[in-house]
Amino acid sequence: MNLLAPGIAFGIVVAAILALAAVGFTMQYGITNIFNLAFSETMILSGFVGYLVNAWGASMWIAALVAAAFGAVFSTLLNQFLYRPFVRRGTPSFGLVIISLAVSIIMVNVLAAVAGTGVFRYDIERTTAFRIGPSAFSNVQVMIVFCAVVVMVGMHLLLNRTELGKAMRATSADPVLARSCGIGTERVIAIAWLVSGALCGVAGVAFFLSTLGFSATSGRTFVVLIIAAAVLGGVGDAYGAMLGALVIGIATELAAIWINPGYKMAVALIILLGMLMFRPQGIRSEYARVRAAEL
Amino acid sequence: MSPEVQHYLTTLLVFGAVAIIASWGLDIQFGDAGILNFAFILSQAAGAYTAALLTLGPPETGGGITLVQEYFWGASVPFPLHLPAAMLVGALVAVPIGFISFRKLRSDYQAIAMLAVSLIATTIMTTSPHLLGGALGLHSIEQPWRRSLGLDKDQYAWFFVGICAVCVAFAGWVVTRISRSPLRRMLCATRDNEAAAAALGTNVLLLRLATFAVGNALGALSGALLVLFLGAYSTSDWVYGETFVLLAAVIIGGAGNRFGVVLGALLLPVGLSEGVRYLPSFGAPGTKESLQMAAVGVLIIAFMWLRPRGIVPERRRRFDELGRTRSVWSRRPHGDDVAGPPAFAEADTAGAEVTVTS
Repeated sequence: MNLLAPGIAFGIVVAAILALAAVGFTMQYGITNIFNLAFSETMILSGFVGYLVNAWGASMWIAALVAAAFGAVFSTLLNQFLYRPFVRRGTPSFGLVIISLAVSIIMVNVLAAVAGTGVFRYDIERTTAFRIGPSAFSNVQVMIVFCAVVVMVGMHLLLNRTELGKAMRATSADPVLARSCGIGTERVIAIAWLVSGALCGVAGVAFFLSTLGFSATSGRTFVVLIIAAAVLGGVGDAYGAMLGALVIGIATELAAIWINPGYKMAVALIILLGMLMFRPQGIRSEYARVRAAEL
Repeated sequence: MSPEVQHYLTTLLVFGAVAIIASWGLDIQFGDAGILNFAFILSQAAGAYTAALLTLGPPETGGGITLVQEYFWGASVPFPLHLPAAMLVGALVAVPIGFISFRKLRSDYQAIAMLAVSLIATTIMTTSPHLLGGALGLHSIEQPWRRSLGLDKDQYAWFFVGICAVCVAFAGWVVTRISRSPLRRMLCATRDNEAAAAALGTNVLLLRLATFAVGNALGALSGALLVLFLGAYSTSDWVYGETFVLLAAVIIGGAGNRFGVVLGALLLPVGLSEGVRYLPSFGAPGTKESLQMAAVGVLIIAFMWLRPRGIVPERRRRFDELGRTRSVWSRRPHGDDVAGPPAFAEADTAGAEVTVTS
């Protein structure tokens, strides 16, 4: 039985969700040098906000928008009132990793205390959109991929065609130089957290849409996939993160089909560790250098 | 004492000993060497599984009968051998993980790699029940010398507390030896300025690996004690959140200060969970435990902000020309470290005077 084609198709669905998340994650790291381990929990929380809006009767689109807005506001507040004061005080980067892990543990446990162990699902109709061999793909999955592509094109336009995007890239590359060129880096950083938080919120809804039922602890290991995708693309590089998401998404789904679904995470880990060992600068670094030379 | 009080007291003492040994192991790594080991709980798991396998004996071969529990290998060895074996396995497990992380990575990348290793190890062990019992875990692990001593339940519990006391004394000896040795000064130098330490000829990778192995060996010792006391162990006992509790104990107590870490270990893993036990139950099952973990997170953030060096901060020390620290009793209680006697202060060689701070 040939499972390659459906495996790749499922991988693209996973990659779409991962791309949304990994671009946000990598932006946060690129612009503020923080490995925000609370990212996956912000996703989950946004997903639950989307659930509340959806359960209240609004359509899934509105739910996703509200979730994105929630993710944006929450992430910005997190940076403004928690991470930034620590950075200003000179807390080293590994101290910030501890703090972000603490935030993630607080979030996941408070959420578990509030939501309990129940399994939730969005109120959305799933119909079969098309089939590849034995596997059926639902309209929801098609929608997720469509959304991700739209968002990624939007990110591309933002980063390349607008003043703001240029300012973001400049701040990410060299904040001191950017500031001396007259870029208001504080404002740019705040906006970057808003944008990445919105991506995080959308990713949360997409992640929950892709599963049939979700609970408070669903996303606990998802952060590994996000980090793997971000590291694969070179942390801080939005295009790399998209590419990384595609590779991780397809690799994990193929591993699930060929080996054992339990080893999905192991494959992601091996890719992550391999990259950290041999190419911590990411797969696209030559491109990055060329781009830097062009600018 | 009534049997209930005795039971409670002995259990508390054993858990306290396990927490202290594990926190010391983590403190060597985090406090002295600055290694952010988010996979520390793996060492405890390695020790626990080793001790369990060495007690359970060869696995049943089945033959159509439902197996009681599954594991890939087992043996029966006489008791005290479990502990060194567990420590050895803990140290060996550390080597590949450490080698991967320390070779190239910056400290925050190291932490991420460790966190990933910890998450993945749990996932793999849960999905492969034939290896070490999976989510059901290993159980019916006989306590050491339980039958041969002929003690009743309470007497045996006190005997086990004695074993734990010996282990705590051993671990304490190891960590205080390290804190007085030249090794620790090299570690702190590496932690505070890696490039400078490397330039002075320190083999940073080897040094970190050694510390990592020793710390994990202590973690494994704590795991072996835990499993021999409880008689059961499964993947839910070593989720990454457990590392976080130990890390919280080290940070709150005072990283790099052995006494502070003991205080942290008694306050957090032991004190907090005992305190929560007496709270009235509310909400759905598990609510209290979730909020307890959340409280640990809040405590960490609060301490990182208000008192980043812990309740009992790491001491600033001065050393004489031969690298000897002064003994505890000759030290004045407060403030002498900053203004030490001039005889110790101006040394002519580069490594002779190291002021240890974070």
